Amino acid sequence: MNLNTFLLALAGLVLAPLLGGLAAGVDRVVTARLQSRLGPPLLQPFFDVGKLMSKAIAPASHWQGLFVRWALAASLASDVLLAAGGDVLMCFFVQAASASFVALGAFCGSSPYSKLGAQRELFQLLAYEPVFLVAILCMAKAAGGFDAFSIMAAQGPLLLRLPLVVPGLVFVVLVKLRKSPFDIAASHHMHQEVVRGVYTDYAGRDFALLELAHWADVTVVLWICSFLWATGPLQMLATGLAFLFAALIIDNISARLTWRTMLKRTAPLTLILATANLVWLYLE
Amino acid sequence: MIEAYIGLLIFWPLAAGLACLGLRGPGARSALVLATGAVLAAGAVGLATQTPLALNPAFLSCATALHVAQAAAFLFPAYFLFQGIREKHGLVMLFASAQLALAAYGEFGLPAPRAAQDAVFCDGLALALVLVASLVGSLISIFALPYMQRHEEHLHLKTSRQPQFFLILLAFLGLMNGLALAGDLRLFAAFFEGTTLCSYLLIGHDRTAEAKKSALRALWMNCMGGMFLHAGILLAQKQFGLAGIRELASPALWAGATLLPLALILVAACVKAAQLPFQAWLLGAMVAPTPVSALLHSSTMVKVGVFVCLRLAPVLEGTTTGRILTLAGALTFLGASALALGQSNAKKILAYSTAANLGLIIACAGIGTPTAIAAGVVLLVIHAVTKGLLFLCVGDMEQTVGSRDLEDLRGILAKTPLTALAASAGAMAMILPPLGMLAGKWAALEAASASPAAMVMLAVGSALGVVCWVRFSGTLMGGVAVGPQPAHASGLTSGPILALLAGAVGLGMAAPWLNALLLPAGQGSPLAGGWGLLPPLFATAMLAWIAGLKVLGRQSLQPLAAPYVGGLPQARPGSFVGALGRNWTLSEGNEYAPELFGEAKLTRLAGALAIALLLALVGGALI
Repeated sequence: MNLNTFLLALAGLVLAPLLGGLAAGVDRVVTARLQSRLGPPLLQPFFDVGKLMSKAIAPASHWQGLFVRWALAASLASDVLLAAGGDVLMCFFVQAASASFVALGAFCGSSPYSKLGAQRELFQLLAYEPVFLVAILCMAKAAGGFDAFSIMAAQGPLLLRLPLVVPGLVFVVLVKLRKSPFDIAASHHMHQEVVRGVYTDYAGRDFALLELAHWADVTVVLWICSFLWATGPLQMLATGLAFLFAALIIDNISARLTWRTMLKRTAPLTLILATANLVWLYLE
Repeated sequence: MIEAYIGLLIFWPLAAGLACLGLRGPGARSALVLATGAVLAAGAVGLATQTPLALNPAFLSCATALHVAQAAAFLFPAYFLFQGIREKHGLVMLFASAQLALAAYGEFGLPAPRAAQDAVFCDGLALALVLVASLVGSLISIFALPYMQRHEEHLHLKTSRQPQFFLILLAFLGLMNGLALAGDLRLFAAFFEGTTLCSYLLIGHDRTAEAKKSALRALWMNCMGGMFLHAGILLAQKQFGLAGIRELASPALWAGATLLPLALILVAACVKAAQLPFQAWLLGAMVAPTPVSALLHSSTMVKVGVFVCLRLAPVLEGTTTGRILTLAGALTFLGASALALGQSNAKKILAYSTAANLGLIIACAGIGTPTAIAAGVVLLVIHAVTKGLLFLCVGDMEQTVGSRDLEDLRGILAKTPLTALAASAGAMAMILPPLGMLAGKWAALEAASASPAAMVMLAVGSALGVVCWVRFSGTLMGGVAVGPQPAHASGLTSGPILALLAGAVGLGMAAPWLNALLLPAGQGSPLAGGWGLLPPLFATAMLAWIAGLKVLGRQSLQPLAAPYVGGLPQARPGSFVGALGRNWTLSEGNEYAPELFGEAKLTRLAGALAIALLLALVGGALI
């Protein structure tokens, strides 16, 4: 590992959660404006996490602190992998490990809503993982390599050769951002049917760390989406923001679906589209 | 010296098993099984220091040994036929007779083939199988000592049938070692049939109606597999006049020739490896006592199938046969993972997951590049250890709770903490990066880049597997604790579990180095790219592990918060006062989504697709 890779990895470690937090801030401002409200300041998510960090609350299970740390480590590791130009497929698997830890922590909780959220979280995982994986396989095939640097160095925008993976990636972003219609495992507002779902039993400092892990996840997902137009850093930023805005708008105009609809309709449909794109790349 | 090691590896277990039959006392039996474990471990390690090697030890290369092997080609099917007639089982009779006819044709209709260059031949792949059979197999046999004691107490048997049981169990290990090391096809086939016999006897050990039915099912399916194997071997013999496995597995030999003999042998391997549509025999095997299913699933029997595929893999690279085999393996990975997800029976989950992971290894074999083969061998080793661990844990929990249903195992962490944690860790080792199973899956995905259909099937199967194992682990760890109970504690139970746990995690972490060892020399440093990014991930995982344990230590001293139930909690745990002042009682259960993952429908669908692929495998080679 040379110094350059090390610096890039370090930048990924520090910047990725910050970018994810900013995305959360943008989310809250834009959503408020869409609903004709003023909304909180851009940095509100950081203040929230800061306040959570200072709270000492009795845990719902002895195991949760452990799983939160593991989830955070996995989420940050996936960012670092991507920043250092590592294998995108492995980055995906590490990111999925983080989601597994969140679900495991919720399984260990005591609230029925937490366990319900864990079950649903797993079905979400089942719905978005295959299409996300196939989208990455498409990118790797189109760019000729599995590592982040070769995908970013691909000739021209990949979007033009991968139009059919876009619905799949939008689906992934909606699920990972926990946005309607796929905020099935955890809703943003606790007056709803699942309460806070998979997050119900996390509190205080554990929950703050989990929020950091979530930000890191959001960065990874949007970053991988931005590979679709990776001709320069600004274009990548614009692509990532485009996916974010698309998710926010869909969130504000749709209601929650059931996990059955997600698993029986959305997941197969997006997967078939992405697979068609993959096959088409092989026929080129 | 090395010849003595090989002799011990093959014949000592049989001798120890016979001694178990003679000395019927439990003390002598324990001593013999422990000694076998020690001898096999020493032999396997001794062999490892000498690998790669090719030898002609007198006891395997002399004319008598070959005569015995030729006689075995008649004796095993004759015994199967006898069993078929006794049990009036048409399919067993049919396939055993077909095997007998093939053996007669081979003996009298074909000229004797040239003898193999080496009677014993050990490379990384053979060594992997020997290590798995000797180490994991021995640990399972040791676990079987207290287990079978309790099992027979539970069944109220008048005379113990443990001596026969341990004879077959130990002989099985010797046969596996012989099969891994045999360089001659005739010897190999004899050992192959021997494993069929052992599995038949072990599955039927309890002599209940269900056990008998499952044993006969395993017998007819594996007889059919044996028929395909013999047909393939005889065709190859007719085509080339050869009997050496090493000669047969060299791509140069097959240039321009039809791959039909290999396709037939591969179908036999798919039967042994319980690939779709032949998974039924492996599922039936779970009626047997836990050590049997652990042995069949992890270190013996099914590993024979993937061993054969990996052995022939160099020939398959870039061929139609190889491509179809990749698809068949990927289909089983997908189908069996989906089937596992719909099950609440913990042993069925393990069984389907075994079929799925073997499918992944077979897909690697079908790809056939050195990278894919190395990934396949790494998966073979790590799967054996991890699945052995999971089976022993489930067996132990089953004996504690009296049920193997996942819903009944909910919250078992409070009852048998060691076993439950080991099972959870084993489940996680199946799916988590940077451990070996995940690394193998990842390598297989990247190696399959020539086959988009296989890649998509692997991608979906991978997600199904993750969900299945996280739910498995979460169910064991979650749930309402019913108060700790003193569990039966035997060193012979916890020892093998702990050893396998250490092996699963340790080998999982050592996967990049195993992989590097297995890659042929001259490929540069395989650690530079690819698997080289795993060690930094280990470092991260270790840091997270330490941080997590520190928090665990701190939190486990803290009082817990009252559960949030959306109502007023009552004094009685698990109930609350909800809307309209009504009393509600909480109950939990996993969603198995039977409308999506229902066993009957999925088995039919995936089975039909798998049959089509296997027909294409044979048909594609004909053209």
